[in-house]
Amino acid sequence: MSADRSRSASVAASWSSCHGGQDCIRLSGLGNACLVRVHPASAAATGTAPPMAGDVVRDGTNLCFVPRYPFVAGTTYTVSVDGLGTVDLTRPAPPPVPTTEVVAIHPTALVVPRNLLRCYVWFSAPMSEGYAAGHVSLADATGAAMPAALLPTEHELWDPDRRRLTVLLDPARIKRGLVAHEGLGYPLRAGEPFTLVVDAGLRDAAGNPLRTGARRDYRVSADERRLVEPTGWTLDMPPAGTVGYLRVAFDRSLDHALLSRCLRVTGPDGEAVDGEVEIGPEERWWRLTPARPWTAGPHRIVVDPVLEDLAGNSVVRPFDRDLTRPAERPRSAEPVVLPFRPTIGVPASTGVPLSFRAGDGG
Amino acid sequence: MADYGLHSGTVELRSAGPIAFGPDGILFLADNAGAKIFAVDVADARPQAGPAPLDLDDVDLRVGSLLGCDAGDIAIRDMAVHPVTHNVYLSVQRGRGDSGRAVLVRVSHADGAITDVPLSGVPMAEATIADAPAEDDERLDTTLPLGDEGETFEIAGRTLKLLRRPIRTSTVTDMSYVDGVILVAGLSNEEFSSKLRRIPFPFDATGDVVASNLEIFHVSHGKWETAAPIRTFVPYDGGRAVLASYTCTPVVHFPLADLKPGAKAVGRTVAELGAMNQPLDMVSFTQDGEEHLLVANTSHGLVKIASRDIDVQEPLTDANRNIGVPRETEDLPGVVRLANLDAGHVLALQVDGDGRYHLRSLKTDAL
Repeated sequence: MSADRSRSASVAASWSSCHGGQDCIRLSGLGNACLVRVHPASAAATGTAPPMAGDVVRDGTNLCFVPRYPFVAGTTYTVSVDGLGTVDLTRPAPPPVPTTEVVAIHPTALVVPRNLLRCYVWFSAPMSEGYAAGHVSLADATGAAMPAALLPTEHELWDPDRRRLTVLLDPARIKRGLVAHEGLGYPLRAGEPFTLVVDAGLRDAAGNPLRTGARRDYRVSADERRLVEPTGWTLDMPPAGTVGYLRVAFDRSLDHALLSRCLRVTGPDGEAVDGEVEIGPEERWWRLTPARPWTAGPHRIVVDPVLEDLAGNSVVRPFDRDLTRPAERPRSAEPVVLPFRPTIGVPASTGVPLSFRAGDGG
Repeated sequence: MADYGLHSGTVELRSAGPIAFGPDGILFLADNAGAKIFAVDVADARPQAGPAPLDLDDVDLRVGSLLGCDAGDIAIRDMAVHPVTHNVYLSVQRGRGDSGRAVLVRVSHADGAITDVPLSGVPMAEATIADAPAEDDERLDTTLPLGDEGETFEIAGRTLKLLRRPIRTSTVTDMSYVDGVILVAGLSNEEFSSKLRRIPFPFDATGDVVASNLEIFHVSHGKWETAAPIRTFVPYDGGRAVLASYTCTPVVHFPLADLKPGAKAVGRTVAELGAMNQPLDMVSFTQDGEEHLLVANTSHGLVKIASRDIDVQEPLTDANRNIGVPRETEDLPGVVRLANLDAGHVLALQVDGDGRYHLRSLKTDAL
C-alpha cells in the first residue's frame, strides 16, 4: 500500500484487490449511495475530463473501484467521493531492471555507399514501440548528431516479435531530383565516417532501459546505383556426395534481412535443399551447408528479385531510375535462376570447393 | 450485417493503427502488430442534426483520463468520422510494450462526451494481411536466427538453429474503402517498395486476403522513376482516382482504373511538399461546388490544392519543379489528422507547442 495524500479525513483509500484478485482501489467507511470517481491526477485538475472507466463494487463493508484498464505504474490517481472530498494515491513503480541489449547491428559492412538506405538493429528481447525516434540516431566523426538523417516516421518498423528494428535513412534526401535531395543533399558524405548510435534509453517491452547502448562505425564510399546482378556472383561449388557447403559470393554487400530469405536452392528433383544457411561478414557471401549430402545432377539457386543491396537497388530495378538510361529499365519480376552442379571427382576430404562465375551454366 | 459476412466475436486488437469507415457504418481497423484488418459494426445508428462544429481541447488528456493514464501514456494513431452520425472515432494506443492496449474511443459529435467502444461480442469479421510466404515456400526456413532465438535441432550430426517464423512485416500506413474494396498502403520493414493492396470486402469467408498487390511508381521531374512507400492517400474524383503522398513527399495522382493487378501503374507527380517535410494525412472536401484537397504535413500549415488544378497539372519536370499545382498554405500548424466531419466542416486533430492534442472543426467554406 502506498501512502495516500488525503484532502479529506473522511475518505480512506488504498491499493487492494477484490473479487478473485482483481486490482482495485478500496474505499472504507462509505455507504452504497456514494458516487465514486477516479481520475489520473493530471486530468482531475482540469475538472472536465471524463472519469476513469471502471465499476464500483461492494466487497464486504468496503466499496472497491475496479478499473476497466489497468492502473499504470508511477501514475497518481485522484479518488473523489461526492460530498466527502478527494484522496490521491500513487501507483507504486518498481525500479527499472535493465536486462535487454542490442545483439546485432546490420549492415556489418565496414564501408557503406553514400546512398545507404537502411540499417537493422536486433535486440535480445521484445521491445516497446514509440521510443526509437529519440534513441536511435546517426553521429558524425566528432560525435555530433546528424540532424534529419533518419526518416522521421510515426510508424516504427519492427518485426512481429518486436526484436528487430528497421532504421531508414531519409529516402527524400537520397532520391535524385527531389527537393529535399537538391536542398539538403545526402544524409551521408563520401569519405566522412559516421556511427549508428542506439542509446540505452530505448525501452524494452517491460518498460526497462537497455543494459547499455550500442554503436557501429561505418566509412562511406561513393554511391551504388547498379542493379543487383546475380549472374555476376561467384559460386564455390560443393562436391557431390558430401555435405560441403555451397557458397555464393557477391560483388558488394547486400541487405541482410532480404538475403536471409531471398536465396534458396533446389535439387535435381525440384525439391528444396534444406540445411544451414550462413551470411558472411559484411554481407558479402551466403552459404548453404546441406542437411544431406549433395546429389549429382543439376541444381538451381533461385533468387527472389526483391533482393536489394545496401542502397535499395534490387534485382529488378535501381533505387531510382534515370529514364534517359535504357540500361536501367526495370527487369522481369520473375525469380532469377542460377544453375549449377555439385562437382564430381573431387575428394570429399579436401573440402576445397571449385569456383566459377554464376551464370556460366552448370 | 449478414450481408457483409459479420458474425458476433471479439476484436483481438494487438495494436492501434489506421481506421476508416466502410459501408453502413462498418469501421475497418488495421492492426499492425497482429497483421490483421478487422471490420466492426460500431452500432452507432443515432441520426444527428445538421452540420455543427465539434471542438474539444485537450482530447489526449480526456482520452487518457477515461483510460486511466496520463496524456503522455496514450498515442492517438488515427481518426475517422462516422458518415451518418458524425461521431468521431479515435484509434488509441494506451501504454507501451507488454502493458500496451489498443482501444477504440468514440467522441460524441453532439456534446464531446468520450466513451470506449466495446470490441467483444460485436458483429465483426477479420482478414489477415501478413506478408508471410506461402506455406510451401521453404524460404521461411532459411531466415536466420540471432541471439538465442530460433529452433534448435540436429542436421548431419551438427546442432543448427533455424527461425521458423517470418520477420517481414507490412505496416499499414493508411487505408480507404472504395466500392467494395479496401485500399491499403503499407510500409515494409524490409524491401523498399510501393505496394497498394486491394482487399475485397466482404472478406473471403476463410479469412484469407484475396489481395492484389500493386507496385506503383512515380516520376520526379520527368527524369527519375522510383517506387516508394505511400504514407497517406485519399480517394478522389468520386472514387475514380487516388491522390497519394509519399514518405519522400511527392503528391502523385493515379487513375483508379490503372491500378489493376499485373499492370505497371505510373502516377503523375503533381506537387512536392518540400524538404524536411512528411505528409501526415489528406482529406478531400467540397467548396463552392468544387473538390479540394487538404494535406496535413510536418513542416507547413495545411496545404490546400484545388482538384481542377490537379486535373490540368502537367507532370512535374525540371522546368516547373518549383511550381507544381497552385496551393495555399493555411495557417494551421500542428495538424496531424484530418477527416470530413459533415457537409460543412473538416475535423482536424491538432497538436500544440506543449504537445497537447485538440479537435478543431474547420469550416469548409472558410478554408
